[in-house]
Amino acid sequence: MNARQRFGRAAEEAAAHHLTRTGWRLLGRNVRIGRGELDIVARRGPVLAFIEVKGRRTSTCGAPEDAVGPRKRRQVARLAELWLAARPWALRGVTDVRFDVIAVDAASGAPRVRHLPAAFTLDG
Amino acid sequence: MLAHFASEALSGLDGSAVEVEADVVAAAPAFSIVGLPDAAVQESRERVRAAIVNSCFEFPSRRITVNLAPADLRKEGPSFDLPIALAFLLATGQVQDGCDGRGPLAAVGELGLDGGLRPVSGALALAESLRRRGVRGLLLPSANAAEASLVTGLEVLPAATLAEAVARLAAGGGEAAPPADLSALLCAAPAPDADLSDIVGQDQVKRALEVAVAGAHNVLMSGPPGAGKTMLARRLPSIMPVLTRAEAIEVTRIYSIAGLLPADVPLVTQRPFRAPHHTISSPGLVGGGGTPRPGEVSLGHLGVLFLDEFPEFRLSALEGLRQPLEDGEVTISRRLTSVTFPARIMLVAAMNPCPCGYLGDRGQECSCPAHRLHQYSSRLSGPLLDRIDLRLEVPRVPPRERRDGGLGEASAVVRARVELARARQLHRLAGTGVYANAHMNARHLRRLCVLEAAATALLDRAYERLRLSARACDRVVKVAQTIADLEASPTIRSAHVAESLSYRTRSRHER
Repeated sequence: MNARQRFGRAAEEAAAHHLTRTGWRLLGRNVRIGRGELDIVARRGPVLAFIEVKGRRTSTCGAPEDAVGPRKRRQVARLAELWLAARPWALRGVTDVRFDVIAVDAASGAPRVRHLPAAFTLDG
Repeated sequence: MLAHFASEALSGLDGSAVEVEADVVAAAPAFSIVGLPDAAVQESRERVRAAIVNSCFEFPSRRITVNLAPADLRKEGPSFDLPIALAFLLATGQVQDGCDGRGPLAAVGELGLDGGLRPVSGALALAESLRRRGVRGLLLPSANAAEASLVTGLEVLPAATLAEAVARLAAGGGEAAPPADLSALLCAAPAPDADLSDIVGQDQVKRALEVAVAGAHNVLMSGPPGAGKTMLARRLPSIMPVLTRAEAIEVTRIYSIAGLLPADVPLVTQRPFRAPHHTISSPGLVGGGGTPRPGEVSLGHLGVLFLDEFPEFRLSALEGLRQPLEDGEVTISRRLTSVTFPARIMLVAAMNPCPCGYLGDRGQECSCPAHRLHQYSSRLSGPLLDRIDLRLEVPRVPPRERRDGGLGEASAVVRARVELARARQLHRLAGTGVYANAHMNARHLRRLCVLEAAATALLDRAYERLRLSARACDRVVKVAQTIADLEASPTIRSAHVAESLSYRTRSRHER
């Protein structure tokens, strides 16, 4: 595991911690489906969220949330559909399904965690 | 949750019902519009999303599918924004339909990102079509209300914002805008700013134009530059009969669809005068485009289409005029649809006698080489000239007349005579489906036009001497009939035929 992977793990850790602290129940972490991976699947009340975690150690490449491009969005959306298709019960009691991004920004010292609800949808 | 809302699409002047269905379910979030939408309708998603959020409603993270039924009708333009937003708000339970059994409402309108409602084109035709379908009321942008309230029997429910429209829906419509007072609008119409009395001299031409307008005859004016052809043509609408209620609505409908109706003008009260430049394309003149839009012939409906520099127009454009001149309407065919716009115009063409403009002028020598002369006049041959009953020469006004010539008659005086002549024609032509002498066919002529013996004799002589064709002869009789109508003469006398003949002889240089 190199430094980048280690930072990625740490960012996901921070995100998961942030979610549980704010009342989310984690249904899955690093869910592998085929070749893809969903970072976090979480539920809070009637909301089911597929969460992509993005970390940044420096600010040279812009804000972390901007790194979730169209291709990544399409991939997450497709994986979410597959995840749901395999678990029809997961939608019981759910009204809203969201794609969220959690940005972990370590550019200025201590990591800052920001949760962006409904960051994108299937149509962009 | 499923909800639906009625709307209306226009194809030409005809409306067809569009049902906007919205389905909102808990699934991976997406907002899609199906039902043959064009680009403007696809973009509606972004406007609707922003308008809903900025109007302080919820835009939940769910899968939203909007269907515009029937699915085989092409949906164009931004007018479905409002019904899509309303169907969405109904489907998410953010508004309850307050109509309960009083008959459904329909909606049209473009949304701004801030939730404001922007006017749509064709509101009058949309409202008329919905009324025919028995829809109770129409939610629409405030800016379209004046125009739509020309329609009686439909509740016009204006709203300035999405929030207002939602409030109206929850109240089952609320208070409708008062119906427009057509007579008041027509009476309040300002007088045309161009009057026939502005023109000094040219009495003969003015008389000929009076005849032309009285019988709705098409005219070709030929004369040197600066003789006043354009000035004369511009004043023709002022001597035409004032628009009736039904005619004003017909014209307004077309201008509304073309998006040319000014925001503060609910009703077109003046007869149109259209003067397209001679470089105009064929679709520009007769109408066309992917979504067929009215061309200049339709924008000139019930008014004047003035074609200055007539021989310079593209032949393809002029050829396209034949059908509208014949039928009073123009049909534009497309792969999926064909659209008909009314186009009952009075064609007024103007040309110089030659490319340099001075052929036959008293003061100045013509500098055109012979082959250019031939080229110029040969462009005019053909079936289009057959539809032109009067050919007038407009000479330059001689200096003394220009200086001393008194003001001519005012337009209102001439218009009074024209209106009487038109009334006589309407009476005589009752039951034929024709409203003016120019549109009589050969059978109408034989049945309805009574020539005195002397008039017949004169016509026969002219037929021989001038070698008129049978069709040319019919045109002479039509114009003579109009002259007789202007004089309130029940029969056509030889003087009428003589005057009519003077309007058709081709000038020397045209041969």
